[in-house]
Amino acid sequence: MIAYSDRKIALWHIGVAYTAFLIGTLMGVLQVFVRNDSLELPAWLDYYQVLTAHGVLLALIYTTFFIFAFFITGMSKSLGSFGPKVRLFSWIGLWVTLLGTVIATVLIIIGEASVLYTFYAPMQANGFYYVGLALVIVGTWISSFALVGHYLGWRRRNKGQLSPLFAFMTITTIVMWIIACLGVVATVLFQYIPWAFGWTDTINVELSRSLFWYFGHPLVYFWLLPAYIAWYTIVPKLLGVKVFSDSLARLAFVLFILFSIPVGFHHQLTEPGISNFWKFLQVVLTFMVIVPSLMTAFSMFATFEIAGRKKGGTGLFGWFKKLPWKDVRFTSIFIAMVFFIPGGAGGIINASFQLNEVVHNTLWIVGHFHITVGTPVAMTFMGLTFWLIPYLTGRRFTKRMQILGFIQIITWSIGMLLMSTAQHVLGLLGAPRRTAYSGYNDHPAAMEWFEGIVSNHLTMAIGGTILFLSAMILMYIVIMTMFVSPKAETPEQMVEFPLAESDMSNTPKWLENWWIWIGIAAVLIIVAYAIPISQMIQHAPPGSKGFITW
Amino acid sequence: MDNKQSDHDDVNLKGTLVSVFIVGIIIVAMWVAVYMMYVAR
Repeated sequence: MIAYSDRKIALWHIGVAYTAFLIGTLMGVLQVFVRNDSLELPAWLDYYQVLTAHGVLLALIYTTFFIFAFFITGMSKSLGSFGPKVRLFSWIGLWVTLLGTVIATVLIIIGEASVLYTFYAPMQANGFYYVGLALVIVGTWISSFALVGHYLGWRRRNKGQLSPLFAFMTITTIVMWIIACLGVVATVLFQYIPWAFGWTDTINVELSRSLFWYFGHPLVYFWLLPAYIAWYTIVPKLLGVKVFSDSLARLAFVLFILFSIPVGFHHQLTEPGISNFWKFLQVVLTFMVIVPSLMTAFSMFATFEIAGRKKGGTGLFGWFKKLPWKDVRFTSIFIAMVFFIPGGAGGIINASFQLNEVVHNTLWIVGHFHITVGTPVAMTFMGLTFWLIPYLTGRRFTKRMQILGFIQIITWSIGMLLMSTAQHVLGLLGAPRRTAYSGYNDHPAAMEWFEGIVSNHLTMAIGGTILFLSAMILMYIVIMTMFVSPKAETPEQMVEFPLAESDMSNTPKWLENWWIWIGIAAVLIIVAYAIPISQMIQHAPPGSKGFITW
Repeated sequence: MDNKQSDHDDVNLKGTLVSVFIVGIIIVAMWVAVYMMYVAR
């Protein structure tokens, strides 16, 4: 077990993560009922307030805190206990991120920041909302630098050696995160804050959106890569095999540093202020990022097949039956992976320039991120939660909790399948996103969208309700394993950190030469962004004053 | 390097090959479906 002081930092992160999860999922279920017309919100609570809180608390706060809990535990496990400085900066990072979270959440709750989680200008929130968001980013940077410091200390003590796979992947994610955040930091500090506090009258909207999406797309990978870390390093251990290929895993991760950032324009394909050439270039780079994801898919299937055959599976798919389906830690992550197949395919459609016009401002996109971050990422985190909390608290993961774990992941899957399928179909028919429900004065074209068996508000509401029940079961498991379950007394009762062995003997050293990867990433970012961003500044349209639309 | 290669050469990964093809088919099928909608509109 890792040092008590490191466990305490990780547990605090998990505590904050699941507090955000609780409020965020409650906001989710309120939305589906409002859309279904079966709930009217009180006068002091607005649909867009609920929508903003749902997005911020789940997509930004739950994920971020959980990711750092996982990183802190894994780094302490694979590189040794934190020194006093690493520990101090991890705590400071936690408190700064939490302070930012509280400021932003309070401003959403009091109705001063119903700007959705993308906070697009010219919608204007209270200036302190942007200060809160900036603090969240700064806090994650402090936590990130603490982990980088821990890693560099290990490298100094182990000169010439490749770091353990978990540590390598954590640092890759952090490198990508720090480069990505530069965009959002620039826009929040130099555009939003001066504008929101009235120091400047107007804002360059296109520039703010471009800087946001420079950050916004790699943000998706900031959620996804920790899930991939679990897939590459935890799943093989649960299956009783080694990592399929250490080199493949590391190469896939460094490709994410290169190709996850210079691709933000694929979120802006319908915007007029960017010429087609730059959009097309970033679409091509977006398609490059499919490569490491498909490498991951191949690696996972190979891991499953090797494990299944080792256990006696024969024939083309006999190995499939031999996988440990009764282990909720595995089954949860397997379901997460299955959801990522249509999720990833949908992503390719979204990024396909012209096809984006079919889906861009529709509920399809909402369905898409519920079967990407909402299930592949979130359910992987749930699968990790089942053992991570008992591992950190020294409590047992009892039989009863395991059964509840199965009920939780099955209900989450059913709820998500219903809700996201409805959203995808409604989106293809034309139903918009980012808006509260509207009947469009009973226009027949709009009415038709909601008349299908799958494509109606009732299906979405049933799906959303099942999801909320599932979230409450998860909260029960979290509270029990954190505070109530009996302490593990014998080695058999102790919950392990299932970290797979990875054979590094044939892994090339250049894969861990950060200067190569950061250098190529910088070149790609400059190629993809320097000219269009400079054009947005030099040939800026008249800026916009702020609008409070709620 | 030889050692590593022979490790993987010994493994039967036919199921993996078919599985990744299935994933590929799902991606292509979904893409073509939305492409047809795009063309039809």
